[in-house]
This record gives sequence, structure tokens and C-alpha cells, in this order.
Amino acid sequence: MAVRIGMMSFAHMHAYSYAHWVKQLEAQGKAVLVGVADDDAQRGQQVAQHYETRFFPSYEALLDAGVDAVIICSENIKHRPLTEMAAKAGKHVLCEKPLATTKADGKAMIEICRTNGVQLMTAFPCRFSPSYIRLKQMVQDSELGEVLAIRGTNRGRNPGGWFIVPELSGGGAVIDHTVHVTDLCRDLLGSEVVEVYAEIGNGFCHGNFDDTGMLTLTFANDVFATLDSSWSRPKVFPTWGDVTLQVVGTKGLVYMDMFAQNSTLYDDLNMRITLEHWGSSIDLGLVSAFVQSVQEGKPVPITGEDGLAAAEVAFAAYESAKRGEPVKLPLPD
Amino acid sequence: MLKVGIVGTGTMGRTHAAAYTKLPSAQLVGFYDADQAFAGRVAPQFGAKVFESYDALLQQVDMVDLCTPTPTHLDLVLKAVSAGKHILCEKPLGRTLEQCEQMIEATSKAGVTLMPAQVLRFFPEFKQARDLVLAGAVGKPAAIRTRRGGPYPRAVNDWYADFEQSGGPILDMVIHDFDWLRWTFGEVERVFAKALTFKKLDHIDYALITLRLKSGAIAHVEANWADPGGFKVDFEIAGDAGMIAFDSRLAMPLTVAKQDAGGGGGGVAMPESPLAEDPYTLEIQHFVDSVLAGQKPSISAEDGMKAVEIALAAIESARTGKVIRLGGGA
Repeated sequence: MAVRIGMMSFAHMHAYSYAHWVKQLEAQGKAVLVGVADDDAQRGQQVAQHYETRFFPSYEALLDAGVDAVIICSENIKHRPLTEMAAKAGKHVLCEKPLATTKADGKAMIEICRTNGVQLMTAFPCRFSPSYIRLKQMVQDSELGEVLAIRGTNRGRNPGGWFIVPELSGGGAVIDHTVHVTDLCRDLLGSEVVEVYAEIGNGFCHGNFDDTGMLTLTFANDVFATLDSSWSRPKVFPTWGDVTLQVVGTKGLVYMDMFAQNSTLYDDLNMRITLEHWGSSIDLGLVSAFVQSVQEGKPVPITGEDGLAAAEVAFAAYESAKRGEPVKLPLPD
Repeated sequence: MLKVGIVGTGTMGRTHAAAYTKLPSAQLVGFYDADQAFAGRVAPQFGAKVFESYDALLQQVDMVDLCTPTPTHLDLVLKAVSAGKHILCEKPLGRTLEQCEQMIEATSKAGVTLMPAQVLRFFPEFKQARDLVLAGAVGKPAAIRTRRGGPYPRAVNDWYADFEQSGGPILDMVIHDFDWLRWTFGEVERVFAKALTFKKLDHIDYALITLRLKSGAIAHVEANWADPGGFKVDFEIAGDAGMIAFDSRLAMPLTVAKQDAGGGGGGVAMPESPLAEDPYTLEIQHFVDSVLAGQKPSISAEDGMKAVEIALAAIESARTGKVIRLGGGA
């Protein structure tokens, strides 16, 4: 049976890619895009038309339409109420990152999914990058010896809109771009972050939100890492940003530039130079894994707990910058 | 014409010697090295003699160029000052701030010139980046990243591996970047760092350092003695109106691959690029010209000490896990 999926909100642009891949899985008989609901009715109607699916005038109506699972791509602050609504209706949830903007929200989301017997998966598509999978295999096979240190980046541009309204996003660049690389490090090391130090700034946009983040993470196994989560890419930068990891081990070093599989387009028509990505879609891997878990009734590969652990590092980063010193994890509830 | 004596015949001593031989305004008289036999093999390559003692060398020259392990700098500087000689001293200027302060006090009293060899200021990619930043090419800088390193350096007596002597990659290597950051973006307010230095691993060291500058900009510095893949340097300066990016791997006009390539290694890894005027020669020419003209060189001993201060703060942070604030700053 194909897994019947509903999309809750297209506020986060990743929704477009997820919807695209659900449609591809629909063509293979693995999933059905049942419909779309969105606070922004105009946006919801447009995307429903584009993906040749139904628009539902309310989230309740979508949840009543016989869906098995939902993908939530709302503003960060609404992840909790939408997850609660879906869980109470008995629907499995794939939630866009960051899972939540507070620890209390994240815990409540995990709890309500557990009590309603539905699965909660966090959208960390980088885990499905073939380059990351290869890197993880090298680490697991001890090709690098013992891992000692990691240097990571996840840089981009200010996305604007609700992303720079802290009441909707929970912050700025740090809440937006800390969680992907933090999740990769946790997954790679099998160890939790126990301390965070962060220098945070707003030197790019000079707004009332952060656009620069330089985090230092210490893991329980004594590995240290830094993570640049800044929206530091210029407007003319040839691509959206990057995800990089440099892993230093006792036997060697590996550097991953996850989205380096590009060709360069010199475009006179638009007076632009752009990198045209031809690497594998990591979003397809994410959506397929969610669909497969729901289909087979197996545990999702990336849980709500994973999402909250990564988000907690971002919360700790804000706390560290406020205090001007390193902050210990776990944070108090 | 300035008569020059070089102390130390390692990689840097030989690099400097080659530079003097290109300058009409300087004459390389000779070398002194505790390893007399090794110095005896090096000196003839530059048409220079070997002195049996540092004192003997001091009697025959106008200036000394110190290319020896860091903890030896203080004594060599003080002796040169007593003899009234000018001094070009390899970085880091001293192993401790107290050593740097003693050097500064002695040289200023005696009226001799002491310049720390912060050669990065003469590397065209770093100088150009600074010029662009000062001209406003990226607007106001907000986030700066530098990376430097490669394989673990090997040298006489393996002295780099002795932290008490070298200070590891934070003091010995990325002091280059600290000096360039200060020169380009201004003073540092606070430092947080993590390093492998105190794990006492076998010829692996690595550090990641975050600096908050007084300007508000944030800088990230990588010090890498754990990359068997070869020496690499890169930097990126992102501001509110643009970005400058440099990667030594991408700026190589020549690439050669030989069928019978053997293993390499040995000596301190140094950035190399075929230039009409190499940075070491430019640095030495600037020092020689300044001394001959009776002018202060553009890099002061205080600059050398400030760079040491940042590096020692990073080491202290890595050792204690604490944020280190510089110069009594907030």
C-alpha cells in the first residue's frame, strides 16, 4: 500500500523539494500526495495546483482526509502545535528542522507522538548524502584511526521572511544552520555534545536577529568541533551555501564538501556565474526513508530525540553568547 | 652596505640566506649554528663562512638574523643588543610575554632595531586582501576564517614536538595569521580555543581558535599539524558588502606530475608560489632598507609581542577551557 501523505504548510522552502519527491514516489506507487493545507491559503492553493493535488482549507480537513503521515514545513515556532494536531489524529510526522525553538516544545512533541503511537522523524537530509555515508563508513572502519577533532561549516544567505523574525524562527542563523552539522557529528561520533561555546553576531545584516555564528562543541568522548553557521554568503555567491566537514583522526584526515558535485555555468543572459549541482538528491533519500519506515512500520532512522539534541546545541549557543562563557549540556528542562 | 650574520642553518636560515644573496645592499658574511658540522655544509652554498661562536659572528656584522628555535631568541637578542647590532628575529618573537618585554626594553634603550619576521605581511595574497579590506571592498568585515597547516613539521632535535620550546602549532604557526588578523582588522578582544596539544599524541597536533575582535567581527583560525595531504593555506573574509576568498590549492599556476615521484617530507612546511619577488626577500629587503635609512621598519617588536599574546591566550584557553580576554578588555 502506498503511504498517503499530507503537507502541512509551505512556509519553509524545503517543502517544495519534499513535495516534488513525494510526487516522484507517487509515480512509483510508493506514496500518494493526498493534499496540502497552509495558513497562507493563497500559497497553499498555488502549490496544490502545481503538484496536482488537493488544497484543504484547514489542517483539520487535511488530517481528516485519510492521510497516514504528514510533512510539516511551517515556521519553526508552529512545529509543536502542528505536530500535536497530527499526533492526536494518529498521523506519523516528518518535521522540518530545527525540531523546536525551545527544549520544552521539543520534549512535548516527542511525548505526544509517543503517547499517540505515531512516529516523529526530524528532517536531516544530510544523513542521506552519499559523500557523508562514505565518510561515516571510513570512520566506522577505523580508516582514520581514532577521531580527534572536526571542523564543520553550514553557511548560507539570509533567507529573509519569517526566518529573520525571532518570534517565528526562534532566532536567526544559529537556530537555522546549527542543527544539520551538529546532527552529522552526533551520528558520526555516537557521542553527545556536553559543552557549547559560541560567538554570535549580526555583522552582515545589522538586524535584530543573528546572522553570524561560530560555535565550539565538545563531545562526551572528548572530541571537539567548531561549526560556522553564518549567513555569510554574498548575494553574488554562485550557490546557496555549503555543508562541509573536516574530520581529523590519528591515522589521517578527511575533508567533505557535501555539495561540491557541480559544474560552473557562466550565464551571459543573466550576467551571473552559478554552480549547477548534479550530485544525488539528499531530499529524495530523506523522504524515501520516512515513507519506507511508515510503510513497513519500522522505526524512523532519525528521531525526534535526534532533532531535539541538535536543536539544544543551538539553544546552548544563544545562552553561551549571552553569558560570554561555555555552557554545559544537557540544558535544564 | 649592511653586513649580515645568520644564526641557525635550518630551513628558515637557508631561505633567508638565499634572500640576502639577491640584495645589493646586504652582504651575507657568515653563519653561526650550534651544529658546526651542519653549518659547515650549508655556508659554502651561499659563499659565506661559519663562525665558531655567536660572539665571533657579532664582531664581524652590522645585523643578525635569528633563525633558531623560539626559546633561544631572548639570549641571542640581548647579546646582539650589547654588541650594538640590529636584529631580524624569526617569529614567534619570544616563548613568553616576559621574554618579548625584555627584548623590547633592551632594544629601545640601546637604540637598535628589532623586527619580528612576520613574513605573511609580505605575501602578496595576504597583503592584497588587507588592501582590499581597507579600501572597503567587502564592506564591514563580519566573519573571517583562516586555515594553515599540513603534515607535522620535522626539524633538528624534533624541537617542534617539544611544546615547551615551540608552543605547538598555535604559537609556532598560526601566529602568522594572528599577526595578519591584527594588522588587517584591529585588536583582539577575547579568545576561545580547543587543541590536541595537551593530549600528547605522537606527532599530531591541531587547534581550532575563535577570536572576537574589538571591531565586533568574529574570526576562526585553524592550526593544522595533522594533515598528511600536504601544506595548505586558505582564508575567507566575509563582510556586509562582499567576500574575499583565497585557497592555496586553487592558486597554483604550475602542476607537475612525475612518473618516478618518490616520497617527500622534512623541514618546516612553507607556502610556495613562483613569484618574481618572493615574500622572504621582500621582508628582508624592507628590514635592510629601513636600517640603512635609519627608519623604523613597518613591523615593530610590539607587533611581534601582540601576536605572541594572542597565541598564548589561545593556548591558555585550550588548556583551561576558559574564555581568555586580552589586555584587560571587557
